[in-house]
Amino acid sequence: MNVEITFENTLNGNTLELNQEIFTLPSGESFMVKKFKYYISNVILTDSETNTQYVETDSYHLMGQDFNSAIELGMIPSANYDQITFSIGVDEVANSRTDQTGDLDPNNDMAWNWNSGYKFVILEGEFIHQSTQERTGLVFHIGNNQNYATVTLPLSGLAAGKSASISLETAIDELFSNPNSLVPSNLASTTVMGGPVADQIGQNYADGFIKAN
Amino acid sequence: MKKQAFILLLSISWIWACEDRGQQEPLAENAPELFVPSISKTLNVGSFPQPDRNPMSKEGVLLGKKLFFDTNLSSNGKVSCASCHQPQLAFTDAVPLADHGVTGIELDRHAPPLFNLAWNTTGLFWDGGAHDLESLNFGPLTHPNEMGADLTAVLLYLNQEEEYLNLFEKAFPATPIQSATMSRAIAQYTKTLISQTSRYDLWMNGEIEFNSLELKGYEIYQANCSSCHEEGLFTDLSYHNNGLDESYPDPIDKEGVFLGRFRISHDSLDLGAYKTPSLRNITLTAPYMHDGRFSNLDEVFNHYSSGIKQNSSLAPQLKDGIPLNKEEKEALITFLKTLQDDQFIQKHLQDNPDLP
Repeated sequence: MNVEITFENTLNGNTLELNQEIFTLPSGESFMVKKFKYYISNVILTDSETNTQYVETDSYHLMGQDFNSAIELGMIPSANYDQITFSIGVDEVANSRTDQTGDLDPNNDMAWNWNSGYKFVILEGEFIHQSTQERTGLVFHIGNNQNYATVTLPLSGLAAGKSASISLETAIDELFSNPNSLVPSNLASTTVMGGPVADQIGQNYADGFIKAN
Repeated sequence: MKKQAFILLLSISWIWACEDRGQQEPLAENAPELFVPSISKTLNVGSFPQPDRNPMSKEGVLLGKKLFFDTNLSSNGKVSCASCHQPQLAFTDAVPLADHGVTGIELDRHAPPLFNLAWNTTGLFWDGGAHDLESLNFGPLTHPNEMGADLTAVLLYLNQEEEYLNLFEKAFPATPIQSATMSRAIAQYTKTLISQTSRYDLWMNGEIEFNSLELKGYEIYQANCSSCHEEGLFTDLSYHNNGLDESYPDPIDKEGVFLGRFRISHDSLDLGAYKTPSLRNITLTAPYMHDGRFSNLDEVFNHYSSGIKQNSSLAPQLKDGIPLNKEEKEALITFLKTLQDDQFIQKHLQDNPDLP
């Protein structure tokens, strides 16, 4: 059966558009997204009734707004898959070096050049600062092994032998909330590339950031 | 029968195509000639570590050397790896902070000398941020103020040059030219920069005698320096705050570059800690420290004897400094001169074809 996985990116339930000043963060600040990319890796489909699994090999996919929006698994063994598992980011082995090819090629602008490894999720944009009312840059480059997050979601409607498209949705607002509420105007630094705030964002995207559409 | 053989062949080539391109099977007669450099026991290292995905070959090293000296990899065509890592200076550049990258903007850290790199398995760069040489190379290549390379443009250039097409085909047969193979070749070359033929090495091998001042200097080194600059590689490959500063600025746009190893580990004990540089070739690699703040060894000695700044991450062994008198300093410098490896320098001058 032929299977693809599609991703739609959203912010507060609205379809994301880059460079549009029409979005509001959970904290209430107006927000314009300029760049949004993320790695999805190690995709597994499971048929829990028969306990069969399809495990994609060399499974590293760079997704993003105005960039790749679908993962083509192609023809895979037929089963009544009812679960999908994947990870946000790249695993420790793949994250330990950057002389790699395909979606991990360092020319994709996702490799760190001073700290070997990959940015797992990048969000760049501008928000209106609550106290200065000024347009302020916001840069999240989240990586590091502790922020590699594995997600399992239930699937419905997949039947053995029938081609299928699995629709998933990312919610950028979830980077700013649940369990850690982030208010960009209150951040000591609006450039986050590691450290405790990056790890809070990692905890936020581990749950609820990607849902079945 | 013929048809079966044809199918078999097809499936074999399909299997080849599916393999990780970094792990070439050495089965064709045009396979690269793998080798391991000979290692002096005076380096006090076990084997020659190299990652499975990038075994060193003569062809890979030749390609890597050409890439290392090629200014065309940079965005303005004027800067190569060798611009900051010059062979005659043990592969450093004699200035505290280089401003000879593509933008002319001064860098934040001093260009470290390059030798005995294969054993730097605890991380590379002053803060250990690079896991291995194969990953490291993308740093200076793409840093906007170093070579400023656009990797896509670099690959375009390499694919248009007849000589590179040949060299890549020999080093990585039947593999497209990619940023990964380019970096692996440079890593193979830089791993051949092995300094192990200094007067110290000859002395250790019983081939020459030290004079009394050199011997005295060696004893002073052993008593005062060898816990961090461990004999052999003359570095413990570890990270220490050696008391250069009391506090560390952290401007947002610098991504923690002044915080030392803390930038990578986020461990407060690593604030202001940098990798112990080797004492080998130290007489060729002034100025000293991660920011090149000391222009000569006298200034370095003075720092250790009376300039240590105390803070909570200071290396405990430096708490009381390392006081040395004038005679001791003179003897120590005399010993350090024996670590200068002129044979290594001669061997690796750009136009010396004897490689590896």
